Amino acid sequence: MSARRAFFTLAIGAVCLLFAFPILWLMLTSLRPQSGVYYVHRGLEFTLDSYVHVLHEERIVQAFLNSGLIATAATVFSLIVTVSSGYMLSRFRGPIASTWFGAIYVFRCVPYISWVLPLYFVTQSWDIYDTYLGLLLPHIAVHICFFSWLMKGFFDGIDPSMEYAALIDGCTRWGAFFRVALPSAIPAIAALAVLCWLFTWNEFLFALILTGQRTPVITVVMAQFVHEMGIEWHLMSATAVLALVPAFVLTLFGQRYVIRGLKI
Amino acid sequence: MENKARWLGERERFTLLLIAPAAILMLLFQVVPIVIGANASFRDWALNDPKKTWVGLEHYRHVLSDPAFLQVVLPNTFAFMVLSVALSLVLGLALALLLNRPFRGQKLVQTVLLLPLMVAPVIAAIMLRWMFNDQFGIINVLLEAIGLEGQPWLTQRWSAFGAILLTDVWLWTPWFTLLLLAGLQSLPKEPFEAAAIDGASRWRVFRHLTLPMLRPVIVVCVVIRSIDAFRTFDIVWTLTGGGPARSTELFSLYAYVHAFLNLDFGTGSAAAIVGGAIILVVGMALYRVLDRVVRVSP
Repeated sequence: MSARRAFFTLAIGAVCLLFAFPILWLMLTSLRPQSGVYYVHRGLEFTLDSYVHVLHEERIVQAFLNSGLIATAATVFSLIVTVSSGYMLSRFRGPIASTWFGAIYVFRCVPYISWVLPLYFVTQSWDIYDTYLGLLLPHIAVHICFFSWLMKGFFDGIDPSMEYAALIDGCTRWGAFFRVALPSAIPAIAALAVLCWLFTWNEFLFALILTGQRTPVITVVMAQFVHEMGIEWHLMSATAVLALVPAFVLTLFGQRYVIRGLKI
Repeated sequence: MENKARWLGERERFTLLLIAPAAILMLLFQVVPIVIGANASFRDWALNDPKKTWVGLEHYRHVLSDPAFLQVVLPNTFAFMVLSVALSLVLGLALALLLNRPFRGQKLVQTVLLLPLMVAPVIAAIMLRWMFNDQFGIINVLLEAIGLEGQPWLTQRWSAFGAILLTDVWLWTPWFTLLLLAGLQSLPKEPFEAAAIDGASRWRVFRHLTLPMLRPVIVVCVVIRSIDAFRTFDIVWTLTGGGPARSTELFSLYAYVHAFLNLDFGTGSAAAIVGGAIILVVGMALYRVLDRVVRVSP
């Protein structure tokens, strides 16, 4: 029995190490001085120089601020939009509901590239290319399908009889939605908020195509690093670690909501 | 009678208002661009010289007869989709089964497993790119330490493809694990107790109880992941840039390269639409399966 226990512990340990290793290695690299970065596995000099250097780069700091701002705004607005759409999908039957559900499923399948390429022209002709708005609005749109679907699942799990009771007692439909359904969906909304913030913070393709010099975001700046200064691994690792920090903090605090929220 | 009709109207108005903001956003930022893209795919639309003259199916003919698209991009994309989903499903299921029992440190293990979920694909690709670096990467250092020869991983087609696949599996296995673990924990206990009393072997319990009861969750996971894996862009772009010699390009990258590097928006759009049509068919087929196993539509 104890042999099996040891095997179990060993297996779990190995798996954890395997999953954490790339991140640990990145952190280790970011702490090495420039001279030692190619031999991360050798030597024991550590320094925070790379972080200092990175945080003095105006463009990188700007990118962090932009990413944070866009992710936060996108989270707020996509929640407003998708919670009501998910509620509708869960509570109503009929032609409107099934048409909307079909549309959501079809658009969920459409690859991003098919609508992000022309979005380049759309945002330019509406004069919002390379601005906050030009990145924010597509980001809200991109999550509608998936989040409406998730939200429908959450509302399906909430007993609607309280809302019916409220309606019978003279509450309006809006009242039943805002005062009865919404408060009981708060854990699900929290899960969605965490996911939405992470998705937007981590998103790359939209930002690559829809932003230029004026509105740098962090993922694009990092990818440019790779292609333009592919040898400065210490700076790149430091930037990547810094980009991981907000996501990590959010995940840590939102973990229990996310785990509950990931249940289908 | 009149009263009832008015009540129905009010109900319809309410449902429409609930979806109105979402529908308007989708119209402006998904439908409109897709229509523009479809229009552009029939026109001579160079980014630096947009003549916008009608060329009919010229771009589609070009894409569908491009050996790079038929012999590299499409096989790559499908191989990537199938392998990535299959590997992360098997690994994720194994981990979920391993974790599906109380033990000390479970919270810690769960947190570690959550790590890849919060990592941006771009960052994951940067990490792996550094680890697979041919001169200084830790993988080659370790290989040389045990007397093997280091490989230029990212400059050979299949090892580069393998690195892309590995990054994706690393990113998404935890997602499968968490969803399947949640599924496992919500299964009823009685059948398992009955099986234990009957003395069924672990394999038989897994094969005839766990797997069938878990099927709805597995199907949903596989459908969602397959659609997303098909359009993977960030990892490839950051890890190999589609190289060496465009041999690891997936479909999204192919469309991007045509539109923004070759400055041929018409061909890029045609490629995007061809790929979109393919995944729509695949997605619909998967949806049929899903709908048969668990009813999801209203």
